Amino acid sequence: MNIDLAALNAGALWPEYIVTITLVVVLLVDLISGRKASWSLPYLTLLGLGIATATLLPMWILENPVSFLGSFTADPLSVVFRAFILISAALTVLMSVRYINQSSLATAEFYVLLLGATLGAMLLSGSSEMAMIFVALELLSITSYLLSGYAKLDKRSNEASLKYLLIGAASSGIFLYGMSLLYGFSGGQTQLTEIAPRIVDLGFPALLSLVLVVAGICFKLSAVPFHQWTPDVYEGSPTPVVAFLSVGSKAAGFALAIRFMTSAYPGFSEQWQTLFVLLAILSMVLGNVVAIAQTSMKRMLAYSSIAQAGYVMIGLAIGTQEGYSSMILYIGTYLFMNLGAFMAVVLFSLRTGTDEITAYSGLYQKDPFLTLVLSLCLLSLAGIPPLAGFFGKLYLFWAAVQSQAYTLVFFGLVTSVASIYYYVRVVKLMLVKEPSPQVLGYSEAGDQDGIQTLKAGMLITTVATVVLGILFPPLISLADTSLRATPSLQQVRTATPVSRVSTGAEAPADHGR
Amino acid sequence: MTFSEGVQLVSFIILTAIVLGGAAGVVLLRSMVHSAFLLGLVFIGAAGLYVLLNADFVAAAQILIYVGAVNVLILFAIMLVNKRIPTDRPVFSPRNAVTGLVCAGLFALLAVCIFQVPWQIQEPVAMNTVIEIGKRFFSEFLLPFEVASVLLLLAMVGAIILAQREYIPDRAEGEPEPLALPERPRDEVDTTPTGRR
Amino acid sequence: MEGIDLGNAFAQSLSGLGVPADVARALWLPLPMIVILLTVTVGVIAAVWGERKWSGMMQQRWGPTIIGLGGSIQGAADGVKLLIKEDIIPIKADPWLFTLGPAIVIIPVFFSYLVIPFGQGLVLSDITIGIFFIIAVASISPIGALMAGYASNNKYALLGGLRAAAQSISYEIPLALSVLAIVMMSSSLSTVDIVEQQETLGLFSFFSWNIWRQPIGFVIFLISALAETERAPFDLPEAESELVAGHHTEYTGMKFALFYLSEYANLILASLIASVLFLGGWSFIVPLEPLAALFGIEAANPVFQVVNALVGISVTILKATFFVFLAILARWTLPRVRIDQLLDLGWKFLLPVSLFNLLLTAALVLLSNTLKTTLPLYLPLVIFVGLVFVAMSLQKRPAAKPTAARA
Repeated sequence: MNIDLAALNAGALWPEYIVTITLVVVLLVDLISGRKASWSLPYLTLLGLGIATATLLPMWILENPVSFLGSFTADPLSVVFRAFILISAALTVLMSVRYINQSSLATAEFYVLLLGATLGAMLLSGSSEMAMIFVALELLSITSYLLSGYAKLDKRSNEASLKYLLIGAASSGIFLYGMSLLYGFSGGQTQLTEIAPRIVDLGFPALLSLVLVVAGICFKLSAVPFHQWTPDVYEGSPTPVVAFLSVGSKAAGFALAIRFMTSAYPGFSEQWQTLFVLLAILSMVLGNVVAIAQTSMKRMLAYSSIAQAGYVMIGLAIGTQEGYSSMILYIGTYLFMNLGAFMAVVLFSLRTGTDEITAYSGLYQKDPFLTLVLSLCLLSLAGIPPLAGFFGKLYLFWAAVQSQAYTLVFFGLVTSVASIYYYVRVVKLMLVKEPSPQVLGYSEAGDQDGIQTLKAGMLITTVATVVLGILFPPLISLADTSLRATPSLQQVRTATPVSRVSTGAEAPADHGR
Repeated sequence: MTFSEGVQLVSFIILTAIVLGGAAGVVLLRSMVHSAFLLGLVFIGAAGLYVLLNADFVAAAQILIYVGAVNVLILFAIMLVNKRIPTDRPVFSPRNAVTGLVCAGLFALLAVCIFQVPWQIQEPVAMNTVIEIGKRFFSEFLLPFEVASVLLLLAMVGAIILAQREYIPDRAEGEPEPLALPERPRDEVDTTPTGRR
Repeated sequence: MEGIDLGNAFAQSLSGLGVPADVARALWLPLPMIVILLTVTVGVIAAVWGERKWSGMMQQRWGPTIIGLGGSIQGAADGVKLLIKEDIIPIKADPWLFTLGPAIVIIPVFFSYLVIPFGQGLVLSDITIGIFFIIAVASISPIGALMAGYASNNKYALLGGLRAAAQSISYEIPLALSVLAIVMMSSSLSTVDIVEQQETLGLFSFFSWNIWRQPIGFVIFLISALAETERAPFDLPEAESELVAGHHTEYTGMKFALFYLSEYANLILASLIASVLFLGGWSFIVPLEPLAALFGIEAANPVFQVVNALVGISVTILKATFFVFLAILARWTLPRVRIDQLLDLGWKFLLPVSLFNLLLTAALVLLSNTLKTTLPLYLPLVIFVGLVFVAMSLQKRPAAKPTAARA
């Protein structure tokens, strides 16, 4: 069996090749020139990520998105998510430079592992074949475990890594079990689109595999009830890693969720939408309620990210064109506001050595820039107009209203109001309260190389958080085009109206269309 | 039933007994070392099942990787840590009962599932599986195969960075602790429960 | 190249006696296992005798002389002695694991003999994964060592067991990589195919033996196999000056005999594999079939077939004996290495070199396939000879420090 090289359509993966090449170059530069060149590694990484983004843009709409004989589908949906992942990786690099230097962690391997995680996440958002999905997922997961344990002399980091590893391995196992069931049901198919027609009439067994697969994916999304690892991992891991996990890794998880559900389970859309409705409600409620009680900034952002994942899942749960495009938009805005918040946290903890929320009080008197960035990002996360987060949430809820998913909208609104409390509390502390001892001892004297990149990153994210809100209409049309050009989503919209005989739980009426 | 079918059936029964019994032992035995050794037995039993399915290469790979590497590594970890675990826990605790119930439920679900699916059964074909696997790796599964190499490289880099001995310079008072998070740990709560040493 | 299919011949001869075919096959099943058990045991007795005699020669003494002709059945006598000795299980040992340990060490060794070819068709099972089967099965043995070491409840035994396992998994990798290079050249994992690939040059097949094409792989294989069999200078798991006797410490009687047996069975196995992989297996220096063709004797001639098979078996055993001799020579020549030296050698030297060898072989196989000639495959020989010359010329210089003499 000879395969035609042209049939591989290998050009669709240029961004991934560039990331891989960067990875190897960083490793080799470190190997050859050692400590002398270690200052250049983050910039090399940034350069690689930049080139990868540049090669990604012309692939906006490819004539033939299927590459590597169906292992990878470079459709616009994957392009959007790969761009998100690249951007979040680049922003993560910006905030890591100083952080890594100050904690005297090994430099090169950090960026190598980060690039590996980026590669895994990018591949995951385009994989359309089960072997590829699993390898990409493991690439992302294993590098994430390593990164979260990167501060290896810190017990909290060890704990985070171990917890992440154990729960992650278990969830990988569950996901794999679901996929192995699919492989068996479909008579030995691994392509998602080939599986769909073969399991349509299966009923209960297909639902069992659906539940297992969703459980596996939701671990990556840290949706309640698969979220238990999140707070401890977020608290114990190095903060830049947390930032990447909360954005890049989650974006990949959502891409995987969309592709897996629409390609492999178009015949069971009611069932999986019901599942995601439940998961979304649970995540929004639990994430927001528990976040109120947190005293550590990183833990608060951990629960907030659980809640935010819940909002994004609204788009998945309603399963319409508007739902998906609002989901993409929200992830795009969430990327900037969340990374901005994390950058502010990184800067504050580098200067004061703490991430207690009370330590932030009175920060305005000492560092207005940091206060501004953190306030804007947190307010945007809370959904206060006119920031990007507001428009993102608005569009999500509007899409939900259009498909009569009033329950989701109700929970979304109520929990948003609750979330305003804990976000605004931090803002109020910074602006109004008397300075805390940490803030009083606050000085920029210890600032060294790398702080400037961090500040640049903060500027970028803040500007994006503010400006994206104004730019929303063109972005919406952009998201719509990308969805219209994605074949797997076209398929689902034609497939959903056909009512299947379902033996499982009937979908509740609140989101019937 | 021909002679070879008879041999196959008997081998299947023996191997299944090994896998099931071994797996139950892994979970139920008190001694961690015994569990780990039984895990090796389970892996070998699974390799035997692969042989019955004409997947000889996969069977050998299973033995080489799972028994020869993974299980030895697990044993190493257990023996180097060598922690004596008190063996006076009762078998029928509420926790075990709940676990048992969940397992029974899962088993029931899977059993129902197995009987509902119209499985497409293929007769095993005798072929050179090595060549077949190689061909698949370089056609349909080319991308996962190549990505797996990146995965292995990164796993190796990560393992080395975690295992590497660090040179920690003496630090002056007030300087941040090296190789630790810059954030101070929160107020030390004694997390070790009293009575557990 | 039709060989003799012993299994079918046996079944046919029985069915000639009126036995049903199924029963004949059922009767055939245990026969190979019994044959293996007997041959290996006899082989071990011979190897023990050889070791003691050769060791004696090297140390200018006689070795065993009393039992049998020149002490030749001393090994058998020792075996009988061990059989009738008391079998002691230490009171604080874990009786189950203590008993299982030796069995798990020895069973994989016996399994591996299944795929060793002694001649055309003289192999108990010519499976497609041949040599990979040996590598896979051999990886089970360390578990037995760990089990014995742990169950003895003795710190020296535990350390010995851990060392055995660490050593075994470290050297398995270069070993497997050097084998893989050969597999690439013969594009088959089957041991029979690997030997036949070394008979491709007709009368001059001597030069197609893999030792000429894979000199680097050969050296890697020898070192790794020595370490895998835990022979001196790599006998750290039972280093008597540090660990009493490693995981054997608490064992007596038959269980100790099993360890003893497995050690020598492993040595013979490694020698057989080395001769199959690198010295052309059963093929004589001048291969018999083309020679017979010169004299006008057909390959199907039954007399020729019997002669060919006998020569094949003898040649294989002779080649293996050569490797056993090499191992004994190494034992009395080289001092035992330290554990860190052992691991350094494995991970920092053998592993990179074997990876390089694998890459080189892959490139050369591609080249020779495109050029349709086997000449490029001999490039490693040139490299190897060159390296040896360089090393020797460096050696002649007076060493700067006396400690640097042994590299």
